[in-house]
Amino acid sequence: MGKKFDINYVLDFIPKLLSYLDITLFIVTASLVFGLLIGFLVALPRMYNVPVLKRVSQVYVSFFRGTPILIQLFLVYYGVPELFKLVNIDLSRTDVLVFVILSYSLHSGAFISEGIRAAVNGVERGQVEAAYSVGMNGFQAFTRIILPQALAISVPIFANLTIANLKDTSLAFTLGAMEMTGKSQTLGTATQHFIETYIALSLIYFVISTVLERAFHYVERRLLKHEKQLVQHGHRSRKRSLWGKPLVTRIEEGG
Amino acid sequence: MIKLSRISKSFGKNQVLKDITLSVEKGEVVVILGPSGSGKTTLLRCLNYLERPNDGTIAIGDYTVDCKHAGKKDIHQLRQKSAMVFQHYNLFKHKTALENVMEGLVIVQKLPKEEARKRSVEVLEKVGLGAKLDAYPSQLSGGQQQRVGIARALALNPEVILFDEPTSALDPELVGEVLDVIRKIANEGITMIVVTHEMSFAREVSNHVVFMDGGVIVEEGKPNELFGAPKEERTKQFLKRITSDWVYNI
Repeated sequence: MGKKFDINYVLDFIPKLLSYLDITLFIVTASLVFGLLIGFLVALPRMYNVPVLKRVSQVYVSFFRGTPILIQLFLVYYGVPELFKLVNIDLSRTDVLVFVILSYSLHSGAFISEGIRAAVNGVERGQVEAAYSVGMNGFQAFTRIILPQALAISVPIFANLTIANLKDTSLAFTLGAMEMTGKSQTLGTATQHFIETYIALSLIYFVISTVLERAFHYVERRLLKHEKQLVQHGHRSRKRSLWGKPLVTRIEEGG
Repeated sequence: MIKLSRISKSFGKNQVLKDITLSVEKGEVVVILGPSGSGKTTLLRCLNYLERPNDGTIAIGDYTVDCKHAGKKDIHQLRQKSAMVFQHYNLFKHKTALENVMEGLVIVQKLPKEEARKRSVEVLEKVGLGAKLDAYPSQLSGGQQQRVGIARALALNPEVILFDEPTSALDPELVGEVLDVIRKIANEGITMIVVTHEMSFAREVSNHVVFMDGGVIVEEGKPNELFGAPKEERTKQFLKRITSDWVYNI
């Protein structure tokens, strides 16, 4: 396939691909924002045990967690316009990015709702009672006691999701969306240097994922400063730079 | 000072409290005894409205609440008059010892931060934790955590402090330090209601003992009367099983 390998093409492709990074990041950010919204709405009926809605959200979550993202993209891209045709709305001119973001929002909403549920349940009921007993009202107890701790618990979940989402956006090219992977296809076709585009592409994804991973790790350590082990860990590694720390400490340290 | 009358509470079909009537004088240290499932913890939690009684009235100081028609404001008022010390401490894990104590003062009582801080430090020194102000709960032993819990309740300056089995989650060797602190507070004349299984402590500290079983108050009286010469058969049985001095008379 294509021409002889030439490392110079890798260097040449990186800036060209990076000029489409904003679209990739836009898809990730938008789908996380909408995903958070959806996730919160979907988690509520399950946390508060609302009879019918609880079932609906269970079905939603298990569907989007149980089917491949690629299939979900196709379903949304080809299925949603069909649904709208029934009410005589024509979506054939709608930007493909709308469908891409819709798919990823629905997809991450399912995961986020589970994350929210786990995080809120992770804060002991006893602390809420203590908050009430010192005279706080429900809102104060939620914002002052539950939320800060739930946020800290959910950071690793959210980190995984963000990185997974970043990598999943590469599938959007199958619908013809012009993000980084989509661009790499056209570069590859134009120059016949496919391997070089893939190397450039993987370098970019890898670097961004690693930066995100570090950033989340830092946030998590800040939010979990009340956990004993983490405080000690912080002391030990303070002299090393942010980049010098092992990538997989999260599991040993626990939530 | 505190008057409970005809308090009832059911969980589903299971009636846990049946028509409880109890009055507590200012400065009294009341100990509630009874086998597990007798409703003593539920009674304490009703006082703080962590459980909602189905019926009856609760009066603390000059504030009376009719439990059947209690609104948000009533509950809020009642909670401000009492403070609770929990079996499992229930400290705010993301806050330091000092912040745990300050939280209620700043957020609920709206004290200026400096004043809240000053008062919190004072109280923490009183429970012997002056050196642990900036420690998080995870860095403290069980006994120290429970003393923070006591400081948190004490700082609010409530009319009554409710202790829900404050030592039963502790290692045996840490029980003493917590009981010492409770004893110290009792001697200051603060009204307290204590649910406990520490019989000798109950006998020494209290001046009013209540024995509950099956959701009713079986017997109440001065510690000497109740421990020395219980009138009811059920009380005798319970005390016999719990106070173990006869075991050694082989």
